[in-house]
Amino acid sequence: MNAQPPVGLDGRPGREGFRTDGPEDWHRVHPVSPLVRGWVAVAAVLFIFGRNSLDTLFSGGPRGQGGQGLAAGAPVGAVLAVVGAAVVVFGLGFFLSWRFTRYQVTDRDVHINSGVIFRQQRRARIDRVQAIDVVQPLVARAFGLAELKFDVADGGKSAFKLSFLKLAEAKRLRAAILARAAGVAIDPDAPQDVTEAPERAVLSLSPGRIIGSVVFGSLTIVVIAALAAAVVLAVWSREIGVLIGFVPIFIGFGASYWKAITGDFNFCVALSPDGVRLHYGMLETRAQTIPPGRVQAVGISQGPLWRPFGWYRVHVNVAGYGDDRSDHGNRTVLLPAGTLDEVMAVLALVFPDPGVDNPFDVFTVGLKGPFEGHGFIHSPRPARWIDPLAWRRNAYCATRTALLCRHGFFFRRLQVVPHERTQSLSLRQGPLMAALGLVDFELHSTAGPIRPVVRHMAADAGRRLFDEQALRAATARRIHRSEHWLAPAMDPFIPPAPQENNHGH
Amino acid sequence: MPSLEHGNRHQGSAIDPADVTFLRVSSKLITARLIQRGLGGLAILAVSALPLVFLSSGVWPGFPAWLAWALPSAALLVVVWVLALVPRQVHAIGYAERNEDLLIRHGIMFHRIMVVPYGRMQYVDVTMGPLERLLGLSTIHLHTASPGTNALLFGLPAAEAARLREQLSARGEAKLAGL
Repeated sequence: MNAQPPVGLDGRPGREGFRTDGPEDWHRVHPVSPLVRGWVAVAAVLFIFGRNSLDTLFSGGPRGQGGQGLAAGAPVGAVLAVVGAAVVVFGLGFFLSWRFTRYQVTDRDVHINSGVIFRQQRRARIDRVQAIDVVQPLVARAFGLAELKFDVADGGKSAFKLSFLKLAEAKRLRAAILARAAGVAIDPDAPQDVTEAPERAVLSLSPGRIIGSVVFGSLTIVVIAALAAAVVLAVWSREIGVLIGFVPIFIGFGASYWKAITGDFNFCVALSPDGVRLHYGMLETRAQTIPPGRVQAVGISQGPLWRPFGWYRVHVNVAGYGDDRSDHGNRTVLLPAGTLDEVMAVLALVFPDPGVDNPFDVFTVGLKGPFEGHGFIHSPRPARWIDPLAWRRNAYCATRTALLCRHGFFFRRLQVVPHERTQSLSLRQGPLMAALGLVDFELHSTAGPIRPVVRHMAADAGRRLFDEQALRAATARRIHRSEHWLAPAMDPFIPPAPQENNHGH
Repeated sequence: MPSLEHGNRHQGSAIDPADVTFLRVSSKLITARLIQRGLGGLAILAVSALPLVFLSSGVWPGFPAWLAWALPSAALLVVVWVLALVPRQVHAIGYAERNEDLLIRHGIMFHRIMVVPYGRMQYVDVTMGPLERLLGLSTIHLHTASPGTNALLFGLPAAEAARLREQLSARGEAKLAGL
């Protein structure tokens, strides 16, 4: 499949050397790919058509024996013709879509060309790659194939996808792209060998934990509310039939439970030099890599039903992920349900320097509650008029490297934003807040589940935070210049190239 | 540029940074907004006066007279109130170029102050609507990688907008940081 064999080949799959391509080297995805992508359509057509034609055959057969010998032969011929036509049409479509999909990994960019009638040529700058996933849907697993999916920061809503490659090939490409994104020095003479970085397991979640976290999750609160509504409606209307109307809703809830459990099953966090690697999924498995320094903000949250168990969920903002809800919305989850120790272990991976000497204490205070101390600055008393429950928990704490914002009463949340990832800041004050001498502080992070905010602070504390934070962010920006996390800090700025450009060939 | 005045501290600016002098936007923005909101107000007035027209022309005689009068008067009150606020709102818009970032403030009752670091700016939009073109004004919109950055600066004189855009691009390039 490759244009030329790699030079430094040592024979072991997944470990062989990798060469970046010249401008003329193109590769194709695996030939089975269109079938793996389109098998649902094929199956649907076969099913519908097969049922109809069987019906015709069986109902037509006896009648044919009944005297009309000519009529029985016609359907069989028609069936064969239609099946043949379907095979040709699907086959041709699949062949063309495979034939016209090509990719190339050069030192700077990944090019992907696709489309038969509407050609699409996409280019991704490797140093702008934010995260890479290797996804294996169930059917692809059966063929030993995987999809490589990566996000690029500049513009572009949709992720880049290469589907499907052999698993070993996908892993090797991932390693190659990450190595280049990391700015590993490229030796022009030697073959640019890349071997996959070894990973070290940090923690894995037991099936019991995943099931428990879903059963006691916020979905259950919704289910209980729906159940209560159904019972109340049934009692009020004295009509047991009302309950039957709720059956589809509960089937839907069942499906949601199933999806949540299988989606996060076998969750395991590992660390490799490429970054944090998450593995999860029961039927469709996914290996997600977040390179160091790509995490823009971290959110730790806990619903009311999780409190007795002491579980927390960790979300991240990564520039490429955005508000992407397409993949069950769990691409942004760094830890679906973890104890405080596990949360701290995961935090240490994405956020090695918390900027305080006793991070465990500080984060415990940040998560657990309205205790004084450890540098947390709280909402003043007048805030209770606006925010009667949560005002005691509203607080912020600025460490040397990050800002911690705490809020929420029923759903406890702690948001962590590294200073060097601060995009912009704002202060807001409405008339009621002005009367009470309060102000809201907002910190803007990239698109994602975390929208950091400190609510209802005393006006002068808010103003001070605003000034100090602007200064801290500016200082942190000067120190953290580099996009390449392994390269030396000197990094000449290259103006961002347009992500999709058409260069005919 | 007669419209650029170096403003002193605004009233009700409890959360403004202490040692910053804000530049005001052009007072022609008052005219622009009065025209815009006046037209909108006229439309609302016209709609709210419909019952009164129906009543007096006898199309819908059953409509309660007090309501027919109350609707347009309430609408008139709101429109006049909104229009009366315009000059204060325009005077409350201000911006200041600091060494590392651009400060933008808006509003008096709903006060908002925002800081956008130069190094975080992805691109700068300068737009000019038909009414703005007539008055020689432009709007500047700063974009960062965050959707939360809603940094709009209305009513800049065209020359000042061009200068600010150049200035912002130059400083942005000099201080550009990664994401």
